[in-house]
Amino acid sequence: MRRVLSFFLLCFLSFCIPTFAADYHEQLVLRPLPLSALLASFNFRSNTSLSAFEAHNYRFFPRSLGQILQHAGTRELHLRFSLGRWDAESWGARPWDGAKEGGTGVELWAWLEAETEEEADHKWLTLTNALSGLFCASLNFIDGTRTTRPVMSFRPEGNHPSSNSTNMHLLYGVLPREVVCTENLTPFLKLLPCKGKAGIATLLDGHKLFDASWQSMAIDVRPVCVPGEECVLEIEQTIDMVLDIDRSLRPRDNPIPRPPPGHELKCDTSKPYHSDDTCYPAVYGANQDWTLAQIFGRPMQGICPLADPTVPPVCLHVPDSRSVYSSAGVREIKNKDGLSRCFEVEPAADLDVVLPRVESEGEAAPTLAESIVRPETPSLYAERSFTGYGQERGGVQTILRNPSPDKEVEFVYMESLPWFMRIYLHTLQARVDGPSTDQESLIDEVYYRPALDRARGTQLELRMRVPPASTVFLTYDFEKSILRYTEYPPDANRGFDVAAAVITILDDGKGGTGSASVSSDKHTSSNLRTTTLLLSLPTPDFSMPYNVIIFTSTAIALAFGGMFNILVRRFVAADEGPEVSLKRLKRGIQTKLGSLFSKFGKASIKKNE
Amino acid sequence: MNGGKVTLGRTAGLYIGAAVLRLALFTVFPGLPDLLTGRVEISTPVTSFKRLQEGLFLYNHNVSPYDGGVYHQAPLFLPLFSLLPSSSSFPIFTYLLYIVVDLLSANALQKIADSGEAVSSALFTSPRREKRWSGLVIAAVYLFNPFTIATCLGRSTSVFTTCAVLHAIAKAISGAPISAMIALSFASYLSMYPLLLLPPLLLLSYDRQPALHTQKSLLAFTLKHISVVTGVLSTLFSMSYLITGSWEFLPSTYGVQLTLSDLTPNVGLWWYFFVEMFDSFRSFFLAVFWLHLSSYVGGLCVRIRTQPLVVLTLLLGIFAIFKPYPSIADMSLFLAMVPLYRHVFPLMRYTFVVAAVVMYATFLGPAFYHLWIYAGSGNANFFYAITLVWGLGLSLMVCDLTFAVLRDEWEVERPEMVGKEIRQI
Repeated sequence: MRRVLSFFLLCFLSFCIPTFAADYHEQLVLRPLPLSALLASFNFRSNTSLSAFEAHNYRFFPRSLGQILQHAGTRELHLRFSLGRWDAESWGARPWDGAKEGGTGVELWAWLEAETEEEADHKWLTLTNALSGLFCASLNFIDGTRTTRPVMSFRPEGNHPSSNSTNMHLLYGVLPREVVCTENLTPFLKLLPCKGKAGIATLLDGHKLFDASWQSMAIDVRPVCVPGEECVLEIEQTIDMVLDIDRSLRPRDNPIPRPPPGHELKCDTSKPYHSDDTCYPAVYGANQDWTLAQIFGRPMQGICPLADPTVPPVCLHVPDSRSVYSSAGVREIKNKDGLSRCFEVEPAADLDVVLPRVESEGEAAPTLAESIVRPETPSLYAERSFTGYGQERGGVQTILRNPSPDKEVEFVYMESLPWFMRIYLHTLQARVDGPSTDQESLIDEVYYRPALDRARGTQLELRMRVPPASTVFLTYDFEKSILRYTEYPPDANRGFDVAAAVITILDDGKGGTGSASVSSDKHTSSNLRTTTLLLSLPTPDFSMPYNVIIFTSTAIALAFGGMFNILVRRFVAADEGPEVSLKRLKRGIQTKLGSLFSKFGKASIKKNE
Repeated sequence: MNGGKVTLGRTAGLYIGAAVLRLALFTVFPGLPDLLTGRVEISTPVTSFKRLQEGLFLYNHNVSPYDGGVYHQAPLFLPLFSLLPSSSSFPIFTYLLYIVVDLLSANALQKIADSGEAVSSALFTSPRREKRWSGLVIAAVYLFNPFTIATCLGRSTSVFTTCAVLHAIAKAISGAPISAMIALSFASYLSMYPLLLLPPLLLLSYDRQPALHTQKSLLAFTLKHISVVTGVLSTLFSMSYLITGSWEFLPSTYGVQLTLSDLTPNVGLWWYFFVEMFDSFRSFFLAVFWLHLSSYVGGLCVRIRTQPLVVLTLLLGIFAIFKPYPSIADMSLFLAMVPLYRHVFPLMRYTFVVAAVVMYATFLGPAFYHLWIYAGSGNANFFYAITLVWGLGLSLMVCDLTFAVLRDEWEVERPEMVGKEIRQI
């Protein structure tokens, strides 16, 4: 992946500097992965000079977003919409070193210019509400309980004047429950200069994108300053997705998977038990044949006329030994490293790329190296899960594995947890399993901001290291709190989503935790995110608020009434005092009635007289 | 002389026995303390030992424990437990502290019982005064009560409140009103609710003033001792302020009890009521519940003026039911006081029913909680129903004790009514 980046940067630097002030380019990088997966990375980038931006002069920069940013005083913005899980064990390192991915759901972090924290909070509220409308996402639900101010994890990617650094506030909000879907893609494409009508964006189809095994849409806005030139505001929109080729090839009109008929099964004929009625599925995944149009549902329709023509729109990472066919009007340029090639398209031509199966010689199946470029090994594997059972308490265990045999990995591990997950920091433990069992130096620094009920969530940042070829188990306990019944979402028994942990790998030598240092290199940060977790809380019975109010009130009334009775009333012997019985009542009524009758009687007598 | 020695020997034997039993439970079942600490019946958000450890950890790492939703206990616990060796590496010191506190409570209880205040106060002497248990028996009942042992093993910090309350009563009886007020201030500082015990405790201290310097006017006496309480409390608060560096601890310790922001289940009636309460009525019902809790104080003080210790006992029983975060520790405090009224036991009408209901709730409570939280085969109503039964059983017990005490009082006027049917009008 680094090679792509360096290539990209090279293109960027060599071709684009003359027209730096306002330009736009887009590129799609296709990369077949093991197990019949295909990583497609779409990248759209445009610049506008800061002076033009401040004068409300928008050319490539989307006006809708630009106005929001100006209104909310945002200096740098990062927005992520993600779904699925990146399978690092088989797919290797993440695209862009994980810098352009988010945890499942929506993630937003921004540097806001404000004098005070209150002002920053206010601007953050403005920003989330405006973005919520722009992207049709529930970003307005990023309230105080879901907002944190990371201390060690994020650093500005753009170049900010150092005078501003004191009044720049970093706020980070995450919505793990948000389901990313087509309604978020449409506004995303609307921000592009070609609006998804031409160029590589025509390949983006909601049906395919949200059917992917993993996908991440990213928007990054940052100021970039090259010494000696005017600063520009850069917006970079990225979509990365891992498509399951088998799944994508499934015809659109027959999307329900059915077992293929026997004669279509691909069997491993080398197995001794292979026969007409016994089939061991062949490992053919890495060696599928596909075309661009099949995978994305349509071919690429022309190129975006606004895009920089010197940047090839589509690149494909397969070994040079593999033959690739392309449609008419497309020129193939092989890269020097022998592992990738790019395609240049004539303005009006449709682009389609056909990747045929590698025909193996003889019986032997083609090796992985022949058909695809082997993915890079990531510098760290991370997995996080819940431990324990029951709805009272539990634990979180994160397994961090360093695959490198000789290099230590230093990183910042950040969790932003909801307030109803009450963590016990005194139970935090890091246990190492590996050749060196040096327990003490695993966690170098801890930043902890405990949750406050209904006001803010937990923020935990750990700067720690994993020794070479070792695995570190990070565990802590927490308690699940019971909420007011109005605080449960619909379908409370599904559980609550807990946001992904963000791991920022610190580069050697620069591993300091100093405040936001302005880095000149944009792509230094290397990130990793664990999956989100589903936390099930104890639930009350939602159907009986009235019953509970009545029962409890009755119990209290009984206690109070009983006490009151005993305290207030006098004791008498059972046969003393006024009689309380039916007889007495009867007698009382009789006497009353009798006196009444007698009055009437007297009156009638008087009349008679 | 010889008898005194025997009693002393017996007392020492009792205390040693209780301490050994607790130590044995701590050491033979090393998992038991943590298991009990996790039980909702023992540990409430305002007394849990696990939360105390978290608060301690944050305090020792310079994070304010009150700037979070976990620690809601008094600030002075922090330096106290910081002085002890860490409970995870050297748990024995913590165990010993809790055992000592339990023994101190038992000692205070023994003094209360031996004073005979329960059967013959300054203004009233029961005709049944001969029939009472010695302090040794009452201390034994307290020390070997399963609820007390469970609370001690669960290391709930309410044992400190229990100890302070019992010492306040013991001091008041022994004619040391100032010490009583100081002890009560400590109890109120730790748990807030003991402040409601101030009026009966004032009456008790007033009645038991030493003959040498008796203050005649109740008003002057009250004012003097209220100022003592105020002074001690403000000292404690300013010490807390010095320890934590801010007033944040006030909303986090007492505010939580007033507003019930933490709805963790417990044996009381508040939590489920406020889980299910409509948001617009929440503050109203909080006010009503607190008003209800404090309304008993005046009524009982006026009606049973002659026996302030009875008022204290009954109030402790009422608090064990209607406190915002009750636990079985409060029950154990109430049950510690009840045997003082051995002489009125024959006048109680529902002894069997109360015992049965309390046993029923004790055994079914954990089972239903398990069904709700772990097995998933029951829902919250199961545990809620048990807390209702528990509350009803306890309130029946309190009412019954009130009835028995009042009847005992009444029989002084009407000695011929002993053993006869009576009724109330």
